[in-house]
Amino acid sequence: MQFALHQTQRAVQLAAGVEAVPLTSAPVQRPADVDRSTSEFFNRLTRAALYAPVDGGGVPAIATTALDSARTMVAATAADPLRLAILPVELPLSVATLGAQEMLRVLYGWQILGSRAPEFIREISEVFLDGPVYLQLEYLKQLRRMQAQVRAVPGDGAAWLELGRYSMKCGMYHQAAAAFTTAAGFSLLRAEALYQRSVANYRSAEYADALRDAVESLALNPDQPRAAYWSWLAAGELGGYPADVPKARRIEMASGCGDTDLRYESVSAQIGLDKTGEGRGLAVFDYDGDGRLDVMVSAAGGCSLFHNNGDGTFTDVSVGSGLDTCVSSFAVAIGDYDGDGKPDVFVTRQGFLEGASVLYRNNGDGTFTDVTAAAGLTGWISTFAASWADYNCDGALDLFVGANLNGLFGRKVGDRLFRNNGDGTFTDVAERAGIVTPWPTIGAAWGDYDNDGFPDLFLSSSFGRSQLFHNNGDGTFTNVSRQAGIDSPCFGSVTFWCDYDGDGYLDLVQYVWCRHEDMLQSLRDGVGPADRALRIYHNNGNGTFTNVNRDLGVTECWGSMSGNAADLNNDGYFDLVLGNGGPQVVRGEPPVILQFDGRRFRNVTFTAGMPRFGKSHGAVIADLTGDGRPHILLGSGGFYPAEPMPVEVYRPIVRLGNYLNVRLVGTKSNRDAIGARLRITAGGRTQHHLVSGGSGFGCLPFEQHIGVGAATTIEALEIDWPSRTRQRIASPPINATIRNTEGEESIAVVRRG
Amino acid sequence: MPDVELPLASGGATILSQRLTNHRGAVVLFWSGMCAHCARYDEYLNTFEQRHPEIALLAIAARHTETLQQIRLTVADRGLTFPIAHCADGRAAAGWQAPQTPRAYLVDRHRMLRYRGAIDNYKYRNDAAYAEYLEPAIDDFLHGRPIVRAETPSFGCAIDSIYYALPRVTR
Repeated sequence: MQFALHQTQRAVQLAAGVEAVPLTSAPVQRPADVDRSTSEFFNRLTRAALYAPVDGGGVPAIATTALDSARTMVAATAADPLRLAILPVELPLSVATLGAQEMLRVLYGWQILGSRAPEFIREISEVFLDGPVYLQLEYLKQLRRMQAQVRAVPGDGAAWLELGRYSMKCGMYHQAAAAFTTAAGFSLLRAEALYQRSVANYRSAEYADALRDAVESLALNPDQPRAAYWSWLAAGELGGYPADVPKARRIEMASGCGDTDLRYESVSAQIGLDKTGEGRGLAVFDYDGDGRLDVMVSAAGGCSLFHNNGDGTFTDVSVGSGLDTCVSSFAVAIGDYDGDGKPDVFVTRQGFLEGASVLYRNNGDGTFTDVTAAAGLTGWISTFAASWADYNCDGALDLFVGANLNGLFGRKVGDRLFRNNGDGTFTDVAERAGIVTPWPTIGAAWGDYDNDGFPDLFLSSSFGRSQLFHNNGDGTFTNVSRQAGIDSPCFGSVTFWCDYDGDGYLDLVQYVWCRHEDMLQSLRDGVGPADRALRIYHNNGNGTFTNVNRDLGVTECWGSMSGNAADLNNDGYFDLVLGNGGPQVVRGEPPVILQFDGRRFRNVTFTAGMPRFGKSHGAVIADLTGDGRPHILLGSGGFYPAEPMPVEVYRPIVRLGNYLNVRLVGTKSNRDAIGARLRITAGGRTQHHLVSGGSGFGCLPFEQHIGVGAATTIEALEIDWPSRTRQRIASPPINATIRNTEGEESIAVVRRG
Repeated sequence: MPDVELPLASGGATILSQRLTNHRGAVVLFWSGMCAHCARYDEYLNTFEQRHPEIALLAIAARHTETLQQIRLTVADRGLTFPIAHCADGRAAAGWQAPQTPRAYLVDRHRMLRYRGAIDNYKYRNDAAYAEYLEPAIDDFLHGRPIVRAETPSFGCAIDSIYYALPRVTR
């Protein structure tokens, strides 16, 4: 129905000679067209209802907002007589397409969550509606409004509760605790107010108070898994539950305690990476060509660049690099698009709200230049995912940029596939190539699943059906989602290809974002709802996939926002790292390690020494020190000003097993060798690795870290380059970092471990 | 660092170099009344000059589109007593390479940069991981010692963003 309505609307536009063109810049004056106007109308109306005064002024405020928005809508079209003429027809169609889209979202929400969907949708809606308010720094105005409300109606306990929640969002935890204290004086609200106050107290490091509040709240209402979680967190900070906490109120978690030989230490402060910020994406790459892996972190306040000093420490070189002024940044994708040997940077903006992504050309002297406009990449879309690949195998990196939801009533606009013209410019060929999907795209990953030499594209949807596009090899793609068996609805997040079973066919891992209570159930019981865990699609080798997560022991659900796969303990099997959390201030969750032994994954998070609490966006694994110890890096932080967090780095205390790090330099292929496949035979086993061009928040280094367990020699390393050149390197060294240039027989040993 | 001459929210104008004539140094803080991160430091900033009579403090309200009128309302609303100058054209932030608020600069009498970055690591004082950044730098500076950590990364609200130019989302 949505499609039919949309096509009718397009037909009306075409009949009137009105072109639907993508936005290339921010609509500073007014919404650019009727569709954006209607979206904005409903967003503002809902926001007005959410923030409406409780003293009787609510209805006039909503009515005034409605009038204002309607006026803006007409103004958006008034400048164009053609648009104005078709407005009476276009407007109802626009509202109808929006209504159909929202209906579909609700239906999918219901399909995924059942009767718990309304509560989940309410929480998410609040975040979406808050988005622009916090982005434009209007939150203190809202806070003042709430303060006025409690002054006007001091007996309104719910208003005090709301004031506390607003204060928490702004990071004013002491003020929040005071408001919750007043709210707790109202008997009906006491349990909720005490739970919220426990969060505020925990956040301001008043752990004993936090524990006391959570325990008292649980005594009033034991059916509060969230309060139980915060009591567990506070008890952890206090070294365990104090003796006066009744046993019935103590919580133990079954999750994260699997056996492992992995042991991590937190080293971010020690090595100079403990920058506080609202961390988002994270990338590890060698920006200055000195052979060492550097780190870039994107954040709301601007990006940071850290130079690897070569002694295990890093120096913040953000200021003056040109990246520090890139505010509201999200995912980072690294790719040498102009083939000059210097990796360039593409940064997406906002993710769930519209923004202008940026392409930075690496000048090679520690600075970067914004070349977005010159490259033809300007746009104003809601985008989260970006990934480089040479989809047409011409040796130049192309770029996929996924279009996500734009706010609560935002519309899905077209994803972008930017073909590299080879002269520093790009052309959007998405529609022509057949990359079209009505579902919001949050994750994207390129991988040649059928081994035909052309990278295919998987799109993870944040709210709907995920999509697999088969690359036909002629510049076009075919949507094979249904027959491949990967399109059942879920709240997808980041995704990547990974041949976990070493059969030579790329399997697909799709992380999933679950509701808060499902995560808490997983943490407590070690098992979550069966259909809401991350998905591991086994490639059956015939164009179809089977989700085998339960067969592989994946039983828990997490609010995964980022993550990737790497062999953490050098045993020759890919392990999974999940960066978890959610935008709500009351939601935090640990980053999770799922260790794979070739048969099953087991959650070893806490045994390995990882923290209980986090809000991890760009989760990346990289051997920062080049000695066979893959570090876990987390760009941490939340959506609200309340949650700036430092970058976290977890380093293995000891190296486990033997390894080989491989760096590839393309000559016929793209310089970064993105899309290259590696086959390593050691100890009687063969592993397959893929050089990825970024797959979500985190961008792994191009360097491939390959664990070989107890093997003391490596029989062979074979490389399938995107140019279809095949190379075989016999007996590469073990416990070393090597570099191979496409077409050259020899290798260079960069470092011995 | 470049000198600044700016109007004060309290009236009149201020010139950094003149404020430095009777101080050993100054802390220049890029600040915004709309920034929730800055709001965390109200008390710290209100009592700064009492604690450091030898160091001048100058907050520069630099956020793009923030007006003097808005700043004055914030000052009254939050009872702010530290000196706040207003930079309407963003020149000061550009000259001092300040992308976000709050971002602090400690300069000596000759406006030579001694410290640049965050006030602290934005944790609460009773948090085991709490670390001060600006105070130790001031302490080292006043005692004539080399500043151990002369630069820390700062974070916070963007001084300039296209989102500030978009139509307001609330009434």
